[in-house]
Order: sequence, then C-alpha cells, then structure tokens
Amino acid sequence: MSKASTATAVRRPRTGRLTLAERREAMTGYAFIAPSVIGFLLFILGPVVAALFLSTTRYTILRPPRFVGLDNYTRMLSDDRLLQTYGNTFIYVIAAVILINAIALTAAVLISQNMPTWLTTIFRSAYFFPYLVALVYVSIIWQALFQKDTGVLNYYLSQVGVAPIDWLNSPGMSKVTVIIVDTWRNIGFAMLIYVAAIQEVPKEMLEAAEVDGAGPWRRFRSITFPMISQATFFNITTTVIGAFQIYESIIVLTRGGPGDSSRSVVMYLAEKAFSDYDMGYASAIAVSLFVLILLVTLVQFRVRRTWVHYE
Amino acid sequence: MSSRTGFQPRPQIGSGRRPSRKDRGTKVRRTTPGQVIAIILLGLGAIAIVAPFLWMVTTSLRSPGRAYDLPPQWLPTEFRWANFADAINGPVPVLRNMFNSAVIAISVSIGTLITAPMAGYAFARLRFPGRDKIFVLLLASLMVPAQVTIIPLFLMMSSWNLIDNPLSLILPGLTGALGVFLMRQFFLGMPEEILEAARLDGASAWATYRLVALPLARNGVSTLGIITFLTSWNAYFAPSIFLSSTDTATLPLALVLLLGPYGAGNLSVVMAATVIAITPAFVVFLLAQRWIIASLTQSAVKG
Repeated sequence: MSKASTATAVRRPRTGRLTLAERREAMTGYAFIAPSVIGFLLFILGPVVAALFLSTTRYTILRPPRFVGLDNYTRMLSDDRLLQTYGNTFIYVIAAVILINAIALTAAVLISQNMPTWLTTIFRSAYFFPYLVALVYVSIIWQALFQKDTGVLNYYLSQVGVAPIDWLNSPGMSKVTVIIVDTWRNIGFAMLIYVAAIQEVPKEMLEAAEVDGAGPWRRFRSITFPMISQATFFNITTTVIGAFQIYESIIVLTRGGPGDSSRSVVMYLAEKAFSDYDMGYASAIAVSLFVLILLVTLVQFRVRRTWVHYE
Repeated sequence: MSSRTGFQPRPQIGSGRRPSRKDRGTKVRRTTPGQVIAIILLGLGAIAIVAPFLWMVTTSLRSPGRAYDLPPQWLPTEFRWANFADAINGPVPVLRNMFNSAVIAISVSIGTLITAPMAGYAFARLRFPGRDKIFVLLLASLMVPAQVTIIPLFLMMSSWNLIDNPLSLILPGLTGALGVFLMRQFFLGMPEEILEAARLDGASAWATYRLVALPLARNGVSTLGIITFLTSWNAYFAPSIFLSSTDTATLPLALVLLLGPYGAGNLSVVMAATVIAITPAFVVFLLAQRWIIASLTQSAVKG
C-alpha cells in the first residue's frame, strides 16, 4: 500500500484534476471492478437490505408483506423452539472453539517438532484431507459408524465393556455426536494455520531461551504462544463463525432430533422460511444471527488490538 | 530472479526453515523420547482421521448383505464393483446429479476466474477515486452469512423463475469477495518494477494486466480456481433450498436422498456413491494440496 501511494506522489503531486492518463487508468479500474461490484450489489447488499426490511413484516408469500414493526423480534423472545435451537448453537460454538483450537494447537506443536520430513508430510496431509471433503459426505460416513446396533464405534466400545451408546437418537448424546464430527473435520485446517504461524517464530529466540534454561512448556508459554496470537485470533474467529452456521452435518446425523435436542438455529430458520413460508419471522431470525456473528467479530477485533502480537 | 519468489506460494513445512550447514555442524539432532511420543500421538490422530475413509472404501466393495457384519473390516477382502453400478442406476439419478454439480461448479469457477483477478488487480495496482472505500465495502460482505441473504435470494430467484434451475446457484457465484481479496493480495506481492516496465513501454492498463500481470499470477489464479470449484462442488445449504427435484439436485443433495428415504438398508451402495462423490476432492488433494495449503495459510498468517 505504501509503495503505491509513494509512486503516486513521485508521478504527480496531488492537485485537483486528473491528467488524461490518470483518467484512463481510473476508467480501467472502474471497468475492472464493475462485475464484482454489480454482483455484490445484486446478491449481497441488496438481499441484506431486503432481509432487514422483511424482518419487520409479516410475509407468508400468499399476500404481500405487511409492516409489523418489531413484532417478529419480540416474538423471538417467547419462542421456546428458537431459544432451544439458539441454546444448542451456543453449545456448538463453545465446543468448537475449545476443542478445535486445543486439539489443533497441540497437533501443530507436535508436528513442528524435529521429525523426518516424510512423516510431517503424511501427518499434514492426513489431517487436512477431511477439510476438502463436503461436510455432507463425511457426515454420511459417520452416521453409519455411529449406528447403535450396527455401528463400528459401539462395536469397539463393547469390546472394552461399554454398553451400546445411542449416539444419534438420544437427547443426551445427539449434540455430542454433532460436536465430534464437527471437530474431526475442522482440526486439520486450524492446525495448518497454527503450523504456519509456529514456523514464523524465530528459532534463535527459542534457542536462546533454551540456553537460559527455559523448559519446553515455558518456551511455548512465553515465546511461541504470544507470537502466534494472530493465528489464534484467526482460528477462533473462523471456528465461531463456522459453528454459528452449522447445518448439514446435523441434517445427515440426527435430523435435529430427537425432538429439537440437536437442532441448530440455521435449521430452525430454514424450516420457518421454506417449510412454513413464514418469511418475515425467518428473516428476523436471520438478522439476529447476522448481528451475533458481527458482534463476535467486532469484539474479537477489539480484543485482538490488546493482545495480538505484531512483528 | 530472486524477487519472483515473493509471489509464489511458499513451500510449507519441512522445506521451510532448514538449518544452515553451519548450524547442522554444531548441533547433532537425535531422536528424543519427546519426539517419539509426538510421533505416536500424531499417528493415533492420523488413524482417527483416515479410518472412516478406509471403512467407506471397504464397505463400498462389500456385498450389501454383509455390509453390517461385525467386527468391521478395514481392508477390502471382496471386490463387489456392482455396488458402484447399483449406486449409479439406483432410484436416484446419481450420474445426472454429478453432471449438475459439475455444470454449476465449472460455471462458477470460470466466472470467478474472470471477475476476481480483474477486480483484485484494480484494487491492488490501479489508482482511481474511492478505490479503498469500495474495497472495504466488498470485503465486508465476507462477514455476511449465507443465511441472511438466502430468503431474499430465494424470492428473487422465484420471481425470475429460476427455482429448480442451476442458474439460481450459478449467477450469485460468478463473483465473490473472497476471490477478489486473495487476488489482490497476490497482485500486491508482485514486484512493482515489472508492471512499471510494461507501462513505460506504452502498454495500456488492460495490456499490462492481460499480458504481464495475469500470466505472472497463474499460481494464484489456479489456486483460486480449485478452491472455488471445491466450494461449489461441496455446497449444500443454498442448493438444498433452490433445487427441489431429483433431476436438478446436485450430488450432495442426491446422496442425502440416497441415504434417507430411498436407500435405507443398502449401506454398501450408499458408500459406493460416497466414494464417487469424494473422488474429485481426492484428486485435488493429491495434485494441488500444497498450493491450497500455502494460499489458505498465507492470508491468515500474514494478515
């Protein structure tokens, strides 16, 4: 960025009008961004504005939207199913942040140890692969493994004396099952981010600390962890946003059940919008989700300013 | 030549920070117990990651009657290729669905590969009033979850009569802020001198872009193409809402159908279909994972 602005300064001091060449460059610039801007206006900004509008209306497709003010939002507060699905979603978010980051960071630290290159390559590839596969497909595999009577998981558990667990159809376990699959699929990506960040930590610094008698835990806590805080920030943000939108894995694994015990807020939103055609109310739910994601992102930006280390 | 490395994805682990010859001379590394434990732990994790896929392949080759046999088999002992034929010729038109997925994913990728590098280049290298403000606005769309836009998009597609039509997924996919962001990063990393030289030779902005910048960015462009293709190929949320019949369904939708109302009980056939569905991701994984990893991690770590 700074390079570009000094280049401008060298070329021509800023005085009001553009030269012919500059005007041509500007026209090319606008032409280059035109498709992306049109796509943005038509498929992002327009729909966001429309969703905000719809959220203040009663709209069931049959009749044109009727303005109802904040009724949809007050209705949300007394909608037990919504509160339940939001509760489930918060559990998914918290579990994702803790489990994915803890496991991914541990794996990243381990993989950054000295070991033969071919081993690191194999580990890195294996952990990353699920991230490339559609969540639907991995969920299809897992729901077979999680079957109560025929599933592989319960078979091995029974070998060590554990009674068959009803992973998919019991209110106590359905969320756990969803969390396991979500964690399993996403640690690879988070791990790669951590690995890349750990590689940027100056080796000399770690070696100097080792010479000064700092043990591995101390070196990690005082040097590595503070220096990879930007990656931690990125991973936490991504896992939070991803977990707030959790959807298709639940459809395949538990269909939101039993009851609503594993249903996410996005599933509930989709049901309201596209099964009940209660578009106004569903839009209000969507807006609430948007605001939550926005808040979390902004809070983390704030926090980042205070504890993220920049070089 | 050394300046070129600046915009090629960095090779990651292993080939990264290698100790110089001098370092290696002073310090002989031996395998410590800690490293052995690290390798064992990572190995157990890797098994937990790979095992479900292994089980999928093995089950896809077992005869349907024996698919549920326990203890489970991890390596195939029988090879019933007919399961794959059954998956394709079953109640769900899997090949047709695969074709639908391919049409959408390819169209979206081509569109993105035209629009994103152009915009990324303009935001990185051209000067025009309002440039940075527009870029920030575009970038903000990355924070908009798909669930917020889905209802208005659905109404929009209905009014255009595009429900149950692949265009409902192609049109919104032709542009995207993520691609613009990635390409802008890429063009920013490109040495100024090369582009300046083209400009001084009298090349127009378009010629500079088309003949100099874009060819130099081909690593970034192909990575973006792969990421875009896979994202579209794997998508479930929007397709599940815009497409309503088995003939227009994409592959992920088809597999859920196969698993649910139709295929209950025929696990081997479902797994055969899943193997087919995962193959493109596996091919990408084999051929291009290095570049994908590099570009995904770079934007996060370098911020």
